[in-house]
Amino acid sequence: MKRISVAERANWRAYAEEVGFNFHTFDGEPYWDETAYYQFSLQQIEDDLEAPTEELHQMTMDMVGDITRSEEMLTQLNIPRDFWSYIWNSWNKGEPHLYGRFDLVYDGTGPAKLLELNYDTPTSLFETGFFQWVWLEDQIKNGVLPERADQFNSLHDKIEQAFAQINLPQPFYFTSVRDNIEDRGTVNYLMDMAVQAGVDVRYIALEDIGDLNEQFVDLDNQPIKGLFKLYPWEFMVQEDFARTITAANTQMIEPAWKMLLSNKGILPLLWQRYPDHPNLLPAFFETAASEPLGAGWVRKPLFSREGANVDLITTSGEKISAAGPYADGNYVRQALHALPKYRDEYRNADTYAMLGSWIVGDSAAGICIREDESLITKDTSRFLPHIILD
Amino acid sequence: MKRSKKAALVLMVPVATLLLAGCGEEREQAMVFTDPSECSAAALNSAAQCEADYVAAQTLHPQVAPKYLNKEECETDFGAGQCETAPQQTTSGGSVFMPMMMGYLAGQMMNRGGSNFQQPAAAGAGAGSNVPTQPLYKSRDDRGTFRTATNKPVAGGIGPITLKPSQVKPQVGQVVRRGGFGQQAATRNSFGG
Repeated sequence: MKRISVAERANWRAYAEEVGFNFHTFDGEPYWDETAYYQFSLQQIEDDLEAPTEELHQMTMDMVGDITRSEEMLTQLNIPRDFWSYIWNSWNKGEPHLYGRFDLVYDGTGPAKLLELNYDTPTSLFETGFFQWVWLEDQIKNGVLPERADQFNSLHDKIEQAFAQINLPQPFYFTSVRDNIEDRGTVNYLMDMAVQAGVDVRYIALEDIGDLNEQFVDLDNQPIKGLFKLYPWEFMVQEDFARTITAANTQMIEPAWKMLLSNKGILPLLWQRYPDHPNLLPAFFETAASEPLGAGWVRKPLFSREGANVDLITTSGEKISAAGPYADGNYVRQALHALPKYRDEYRNADTYAMLGSWIVGDSAAGICIREDESLITKDTSRFLPHIILD
Repeated sequence: MKRSKKAALVLMVPVATLLLAGCGEEREQAMVFTDPSECSAAALNSAAQCEADYVAAQTLHPQVAPKYLNKEECETDFGAGQCETAPQQTTSGGSVFMPMMMGYLAGQMMNRGGSNFQQPAAAGAGAGSNVPTQPLYKSRDDRGTFRTATNKPVAGGIGPITLKPSQVKPQVGQVVRRGGFGQQAATRNSFGG
């Protein structure tokens, strides 16, 4: 695993905007960054990332049924009691899931370590599945990279296949928060792949969803029988339409049982079930009796996204914190496994890399890399492409 | 190869969007009558279906009919003596007025030969039809034309018609609640991860 500086493609910004990638730059700061790429060997990809990703997924899926039956675990995960039966049913009916992403620490050697799961609303999908794929094709065409360069990125193929295979109610709706261009970009990309798989797709802004006699309806008051929601389950179960969810006959993607896995509480539960697994870091629920956060530990809210409200203390005792709006719940503690540090020659600065590893259905589907100047990866962290080349 | 064989977009590029927008909806057969006896006489639907559709339209009428806070305004639009009191009240207890139902629209169930009698649908669009059953109205200045509650003209008289079902979806606005999701969008600005 190497970080290699490379010239940017001449017109990539114009191209990005042409294909609807409107958030390639955020507040004047780059989000998509092709001033460098990461290079992996095929063995690193297959042995250290692809296989462990599928193993971690299987380990996680094996726990879902047990959690749905355990009052103790449901309580630890802070799942509202009103939703316990709904989640149990969602799992036992075998409601299909589409995708998820593991965030891993990996530096090219040794086992990748699981930082957390994004199993409910993972984004950076378009950047991974489409834009970095096109980047590689372009750089091969431009003669910058050799013909035999490859990429661990079957996301587009696998999501399209999944949409064709899952039995979805038609028309099938997609929703995201109005005015959030990043989320809308992700949803647009999913709709695009769904159309190619033959799904009759509709978009509705989250705020426009209606409740008509305990059935979700669109703006024409037509029933929404199937819905992809890029909005966290833990918010939905707290909002005004929470009661409609359990009464309505709407098939949700991701399904309700994903609530158990998009929760940082799954990290201590995995560690309890699989102690000393090479891809897991020690993790515990924080309680009133927990000692103050010590050196070499990380503290994360049960529900948080994009690194928000994460505190960590490095082994040398330096405290690093990310601000955020999630400071209203319970926390887990996880042993610190620092992200690998690389030299960003373009910016003449140190940079830390985190690796996202995708799952579609039950198979590993590629990786994406996020870089930040700090040890905590955030929504502003840059996205860099990668290649496989031996 | 560890990467997708293709990564194509069809919706996110402008050209393809135009292609999709052209997808047409089929026109369907429907019928307009002022009461169920006319409907039975026309033998396009069974008598039982005619009655069920009429009742469904009557039930929908107070929900979808346009509402007015005084009778004069209602009569300005629908004609003298053509308005009635709605079951709803204003929050301060005042009366609400609406036009009278002048007819109804329903999907056509039977084949032209009239042999395929079906059981009556309880309400809404009957089996085999996507046309939503609903009440129809007539405006003051155009007494010949049947219109939906949203003022869409559908027929110049009773009998069979064809239309696109999506153009006559009843708007049951009063009982739909919206905005029940997204409250936390105001306090948290990122929802993906």
